[in-house]
Amino acid sequence: MKIRKEFSALLLLLSLILALLPLTANRSFTAKPGKLLPEILKEDVAVTVDQVAELIVREDNTFQLIDLRSTEEFRKQSIPGAVNIPYPEFIKKDPETWLGNKNIRTIFYTTEDTDSDYALVYARGLGYDNSYVMEGGITEWIATVMETKFTGERITARENALFETRRRAGEMFTELNSLPDSLKTKFLESKKFSAKKLDGGCE
Amino acid sequence: MTPLSSYFAFPEWLNMLTALLIGTGFGFALEQAGFSSSRKLAGMFYGYDATVLKVFFTAAIVALIGSQFLGYLGLLNLNQVYVNEFYVTASIIGGVIMGAGFIMGGFCPGTGLCAMSIGKIDAMVFVAGGFAGAFLFTESFPMIEGLANAHYRGPVKINESLGLSPGLFTLLMVTAAVTMFWIAELAEKKFARPEITNDL
Repeated sequence: MKIRKEFSALLLLLSLILALLPLTANRSFTAKPGKLLPEILKEDVAVTVDQVAELIVREDNTFQLIDLRSTEEFRKQSIPGAVNIPYPEFIKKDPETWLGNKNIRTIFYTTEDTDSDYALVYARGLGYDNSYVMEGGITEWIATVMETKFTGERITARENALFETRRRAGEMFTELNSLPDSLKTKFLESKKFSAKKLDGGCE
Repeated sequence: MTPLSSYFAFPEWLNMLTALLIGTGFGFALEQAGFSSSRKLAGMFYGYDATVLKVFFTAAIVALIGSQFLGYLGLLNLNQVYVNEFYVTASIIGGVIMGAGFIMGGFCPGTGLCAMSIGKIDAMVFVAGGFAGAFLFTESFPMIEGLANAHYRGPVKINESLGLSPGLFTLLMVTAAVTMFWIAELAEKKFARPEITNDL
């Protein structure tokens, strides 16, 4: 009889510890389609490439970029600061590892839109409301940021700022992707960009 | 079979061997605990023997606590643990039929097989009845399909539908179980009958 009481007390104690632990890992996909669909179709879940470029240039640390393409594609070309989690791996593993920090916004991108949209539905469906997608993916990034050209006569201050951001983000992109693989890894690890160096040597 | 097989990609024969070993262990434990006697199960319904409740509930809460801790430590991915799908109507009707079968037969499927293997005739009839039921269910499934699939809720978890954290739900569950064990032991004293299992 004594051992039964001891065992019951042990189970109660262990479950009390569990109740006090932050157990968030085992979420289920509970969102209802009727609620989830309008949410992911809202405009504010999509971030433009210009917004991402600005975040990168500003070295904003309240966001993380997740590249959902394959490792080979990522090695060939990637946006500075992005972390590579191939889509099949992303949906297989516990998303808490990557999306757990509620103070950091996560922006997904792929070549175009499909997988990043799937990832967004998956993440938001699990209740990670801090997830976003970069509209148009890396294709749009190249078309807008890398191949930007101003064709007008007078440039406004706002346009000037935009083009300056694109130019600096573009330079960082080119610099990162022209590195050999071994250096690229180190570059990604350091994740620090010297604005001074990118601006040129006038100071 | 077992999480190990997906980690190490067990060949099929090793999978089957693991199943055999686990099954043998389970059967041995059931037989050792005296569950191959239909009196044990019937005792649950009449209140003189709550061993079945205590054993199975203890197993469930130990597994519950263990899996939560393993999940917390990152050793078990709880998102990949299969969650039974919830068909409301089918669960109620199936529960009533199964409960009636339990009390009439005096076995649950596992203990029935256990008792059959030690040569109990009533268990053989019980298992044959189980197979007949499975056969009837399969053959008549097209007719009862609507009923079987009615009020489908998907793979829901109780804690999530109640809006509780898994840890708090575990605590409530364990508290409920321990309270139930205590009440069951009081009932055992009240409805006590002489132990005759060993004399049979």
